[in-house]
Amino acid sequence: MESRSEAIRADENLKVYGRPRQNRVAAMVENVIQTNSLTKAYGPHIALDSMNLKVQHGATGLLGPNGAGKSTLIKTLLGLITATEGEGEVLGFNIRTEGEEIRKRIGYMPEYDCLDPRLSAVDQIKYSGELLGMNPSVATQRAHEVLEYVGLRDQRYREIGTFSTGMAQAAKLATSIIHDPQLLIADEPTNGLDTQARDFMLGTVTQIVQEGGRSMLMASHLMDDVEKVCSRIVMLHKGKLIAQGRIEDLKGIDQEIEVHAWGGATKLEQELNNSGLKVRRTGRVLRIIKDDDDAYSTIVEAATKTGCQIRRMHDHEPSLEDLFLVIMERLGYEVKSSEDLLATGPSARKVDAPEELKG
Amino acid sequence: MSEDVDAEFLGQEGLAVTGKARMEAAYGSGDGDEELTAQVAQSSVVGGTIFEQKYRPWRGELNPRWMRNWSILRHHLLGIVKKGHKPWGWPMRMALLSCFFVAMGDLSLAFLGTVIGDSDIYRLFGVSRGNLYGHVLGFFPRNAICFPVITALLIGGMISDDRRHGTSAVYFSRPINRRDYTAMKFISIAVILGLLIVGTLVLYYVGDILMRGEGWAWLIDTFPAFLLAALAGTILVFTYTSIGLALSSVSQGRFFPAVAFMAIILGSKLLAFLVWQLFERSVIYLISPYDVVAHIGQSLLGLSSDYSHPWTWSLVSMLLMNATALYVLTSRIASMEVSRE
Repeated sequence: MESRSEAIRADENLKVYGRPRQNRVAAMVENVIQTNSLTKAYGPHIALDSMNLKVQHGATGLLGPNGAGKSTLIKTLLGLITATEGEGEVLGFNIRTEGEEIRKRIGYMPEYDCLDPRLSAVDQIKYSGELLGMNPSVATQRAHEVLEYVGLRDQRYREIGTFSTGMAQAAKLATSIIHDPQLLIADEPTNGLDTQARDFMLGTVTQIVQEGGRSMLMASHLMDDVEKVCSRIVMLHKGKLIAQGRIEDLKGIDQEIEVHAWGGATKLEQELNNSGLKVRRTGRVLRIIKDDDDAYSTIVEAATKTGCQIRRMHDHEPSLEDLFLVIMERLGYEVKSSEDLLATGPSARKVDAPEELKG
Repeated sequence: MSEDVDAEFLGQEGLAVTGKARMEAAYGSGDGDEELTAQVAQSSVVGGTIFEQKYRPWRGELNPRWMRNWSILRHHLLGIVKKGHKPWGWPMRMALLSCFFVAMGDLSLAFLGTVIGDSDIYRLFGVSRGNLYGHVLGFFPRNAICFPVITALLIGGMISDDRRHGTSAVYFSRPINRRDYTAMKFISIAVILGLLIVGTLVLYYVGDILMRGEGWAWLIDTFPAFLLAALAGTILVFTYTSIGLALSSVSQGRFFPAVAFMAIILGSKLLAFLVWQLFERSVIYLISPYDVVAHIGQSLLGLSSDYSHPWTWSLVSMLLMNATALYVLTSRIASMEVSRE
């Protein structure tokens, strides 16, 4: 349990601030994004609360319910709004004073439509390159390259207004990678996509990270998407950073044994609780926290004692969804699935927050 | 056709897409050539692969700020005449062309007067202080129809389109600050309007010189009036642009800014005219953007004024109108979102 709290806790000993510019490359290798007590308040409302964020090179998922502060964080990192307190660096550049330098080096793919529907794809991508400072001829050549890369080669002369959702998302991705950015910030890149287009989009962004050697911060509501692409996550809630780190490390904290019981699951659950094991149960499936290797024998003994039949028993590989639920339970929420909390419905947002989260 | 191939192509099971095609001879002679075949395509692509996704890095240099700003200006200006830039649409282009011909009407008639040797026609339409003023600030048809309509069509979607389509995110997630964005949008409109209003004034003046072969004395006599008319035209362009863009920045559609602009320019003029008819107080014209600029223009060119109040009042009114419009414009652009609108 101690290791989980350590993993969730933000590291407050950041030491890269004030570092000379020539050492920024070295800092970038460590963290592409780093903030120290970053706070953004809109009057009495605190959108970001003393956030100590560390995003390392590679793909990182940005998770959080609506109103968690994801958009505010992205805007602050882009240097578009000024933080109320605290410091931050993106790719070694200060978010307060070097917003333009940051925006030259990152690619931002917004969640919502951001392309002119009356322009052809190649003209739109070319213009977005020119807005970065590319020569028109270079921007044209590069626009063709990136459109081919995102699978729109044959559609590049079509007006964007005639595109399907998947094609429009691909065009948005092309817009954000025309200058081969060091860091790609993708806000819900699979929004509205069907399975095939979603797989292609996830494969493409994964390739940008793995083959292109670029970093990515991917905000998403879909745990599966984040888990497919990202090795690390940052989780926000009500403006606070509640978890960050490698997904595998975060998931490894609570190892569970999954037991499929038959005939007496309730008795088995009681017996396991009496034995000091922590049990979660849904029908005939029980998940028992594996504190040590003796847990298996304890379960078998309890089954023998209660006469319950064990049909299956194995180590449970937790998903990001499980991790999310555990974290939310730790924060005092009663949620059945991540969708309960991440959904846009107003009832989902009425979940009472504990006092430490200013609920 | 092998049994173990799990593939279906063109309705035939077991047929793999290999890139090779076979075409039977269409017009055989029937004397044994039915079995002849022609191989029409050979592809080296293995297994039908037609799309290979390969990440291509880019190591180029990005140009500085002025080049980024130039790209915004270029996008909007070239869109008038070229595809691939801001799509202005044919109504705007047609209206611009029509207004250009209307604006060049005085030169055409002056040319006619010169060609047929009718000095009365030339006196009516040739270069003079009154006609230089009239070229930029004459009410009908220029400021009653042409210039307000063109301005309305230009500003209609200039900023509101960025709000509606979310394209503001493309600007602001790049190293373009809101000041540059506003300035370039403003300059884009001002340049197009300037070409129509001040540019045609230059053509009118130069055309008259070339047409009549005027000498230095005439040039010295008329050039200050020409410069002052150009200045009055520039003030008109600036005022129309700032009011128009302010309206465009508060909307997400094209219709409202365009109609609101026409309503402000023509409605305030009409209202002032009606009040003046009733009470004979010209001070009411201070609410009309066109009239304040016209009053300033008359004073600059030393023409007899249509207004009884001092021209400095119109100057103050014009400055207040522009200040208000620019305040609305900059504050609305400052609130434009990059993540959602």
